[in-house]
Amino acid sequence: MPLHVTGLSHNTAAPVEVRERLAFTTPRALDEALTHLKGALAPLGGECVLLSTCNRTELYVAAPGDTDPDELADLLLAAHGISAAERADWLPYLEDKGGCRAVEHLFRVTSGLESMVLGENDIVRQVKDAFSRATTAGTCGPTLNPLFHEALRVAKRARTEMNLSRGAFSIGHAAAQLAESIHGSLAGRTVLLLGAGKMSETTARHLGAAGANQVLVANRTYDRAVRLAENLNGRAIHYDAFVEHLADADIVIASTAAPHTVVHRPMIEEAMRARSRRRPLYLIDIAVPRDIDADVGEVEGVYLFNIDHLQAIVEEEAAERRRRAVRAEALIREEALAWSARMKAALVATPLLRSVREKHRAIVQDGLTRLRQDLPHLSEDDWRRIEAFAAALENRIAHDPTLKIKEYAERAAVDGGETSEEIAAKMRTARELFGLDEAANAAARGRGE
Amino acid sequence: MSLSAAVLGLTVLCYLLGAVAHGANLLLRRPWLLNAGRALAVAAALLHGTAIGLRCMEVRHAPFTTPAESLSLLGWIVCLLYLGMEAVWKLSAAGPFALGLSFLLVLTGASLAVGAGPSSAPQGETAALLAERAISLHILATVAALGAFALAFCCAALYLIGHHILKSKHGLAWIKRLPPLATVESAAFTLVAIGFPLLTLGILSGFARAARGGLPPGWQTDGKTILAYAVWAVYGAFLYARLGANWPPVRTAYILIVGLALSLLLLLVPSAAHRFTG
Repeated sequence: MPLHVTGLSHNTAAPVEVRERLAFTTPRALDEALTHLKGALAPLGGECVLLSTCNRTELYVAAPGDTDPDELADLLLAAHGISAAERADWLPYLEDKGGCRAVEHLFRVTSGLESMVLGENDIVRQVKDAFSRATTAGTCGPTLNPLFHEALRVAKRARTEMNLSRGAFSIGHAAAQLAESIHGSLAGRTVLLLGAGKMSETTARHLGAAGANQVLVANRTYDRAVRLAENLNGRAIHYDAFVEHLADADIVIASTAAPHTVVHRPMIEEAMRARSRRRPLYLIDIAVPRDIDADVGEVEGVYLFNIDHLQAIVEEEAAERRRRAVRAEALIREEALAWSARMKAALVATPLLRSVREKHRAIVQDGLTRLRQDLPHLSEDDWRRIEAFAAALENRIAHDPTLKIKEYAERAAVDGGETSEEIAAKMRTARELFGLDEAANAAARGRGE
Repeated sequence: MSLSAAVLGLTVLCYLLGAVAHGANLLLRRPWLLNAGRALAVAAALLHGTAIGLRCMEVRHAPFTTPAESLSLLGWIVCLLYLGMEAVWKLSAAGPFALGLSFLLVLTGASLAVGAGPSSAPQGETAALLAERAISLHILATVAALGAFALAFCCAALYLIGHHILKSKHGLAWIKRLPPLATVESAAFTLVAIGFPLLTLGILSGFARAARGGLPPGWQTDGKTILAYAVWAVYGAFLYARLGANWPPVRTAYILIVGLALSLLLLLVPSAAHRFTG
């Protein structure tokens, strides 16, 4: 069945207020939408998967015959309870793709090429989740099922071969990577947070994900320090006492709102004297204005990075990913073309295969009926055995022609680049060779048509 | 061409290709390059061990009677230690250096052997001396210590490069290609902690043999003897600085660089008393 995708994302110029209106933010909303879509597509025998992330909402539909993009848009909007009358408001943001372009789009989305942060990993989980929900809801069938498996395989290939997911995606990620470059394993390392802002929390979470499991939080408002410490499974300390804890810290994240620096060189020199000099101290100053005096970075064993240093790393890595993405795009296009060609081949080969199987089945059934008349003394148990044998024989006989027809159609579509019409003409020749039309005519004559 | 020489030829090729694969991986970061480099390093170590064994059987004595053999042995030890480092610390960044060094050592040894001709094999009194266990232990322990010091130098160099990048903030894209500072610092210390007792054993076994007499006069002031003391003192100072004086890693890294310079001198300096090197 032909594939279509309709939806909106940050790439279709849909602003956040539009994206958030069409997003299915809870699993329940998504399941309800799938139930609605299942009902709407059932008469057509169609399949669908609904992908909803913070930056995109897309409906993948496989349905027989030609699909009107407006109908698909209505379907998606209706799943969100938006009437067709309002469609005009949404049309500027909705994008529709069909056939090979839709396949390529799905492969690109799953590989992270369409993500706001190029190559990010989260989209793979989101696609898997959308596919799993559609399977559970019963909206996924013989077209979308293999397609989504293929999309996940292609995404894995693109990420592995082109290193799409390598590098830092954010300031916090870059900070955590540098921490590992300095300390190696972060297990057992102590992280001291100066300030309880969102940035320091995000950075601490990245460090936590990399293994750092001892967190101290110091903030001018002690209650906020307590709350953040609870979130991070850490310990709150009084802001005035943070200097005493510098000697214990391996990593310091400074992001206070102070209008002047709060960490000075003598403090750090004192802390370094109080600890093993083989133990480096990594200072991350993500506050603007800065919290740590610049000359602190000159102290032996101290590595100081401010927000500009980290931002430069993120930008450099993003540029590197963009270079890799160009190669990944070519790979994905190639995979999408191959998949579409295979589907095109299947589309023309399937009726022929069905006819071959039906003819074989009719021959076997005819033979069995005659045999029953000739051997009336056999028990039902014997007949069950004979029928099982006949079914196995039928499968064995059909196996090779089935494979050959599939292979031929795929080869013709993928390698030969033949059109559907050309392949269909060859399939007609095959029908003649198998005598399928004669069998159909004979059957029709038998029915008196 | 003897069988051992043929196998050694293959070994040299594996070292070269292994060093190139590791170097390319450092630049391009492709898992297949790293795997190829590792496979080549393992193949080189196996082939080299076979070549040394075959050489033993051909000449019927320990495989360090000529400069070529002792350099080849050192190359093999460097490769084995590198494989150990790679297994424990995942220090593939040291691969280009370690395998490149092994390649150069074996190649230099081979060119020395070709230059010296067939008469380079020990004869008479020298051959008898080399057959003694104390001498074997002396040479083996010293060569193994030098191998460990060479890799400790590599770790120190990696540390200083990483430290410089992190301090200067220039070339930060390279930092992720290098091993963590804490790891290379720890690896350098472990290698010296292995090499230093081996060097001590080498020196003591040399003393033990000298006490029995029969060495050329003046061995006490021989260039190699004096340099061995100097190398021992430098690495002893490193251990003291690392364990006792709480020196920062940057300073101890410089000690390892000085240590390797002296070790190279120890290896290359001409000597009358240490006749096994020709």
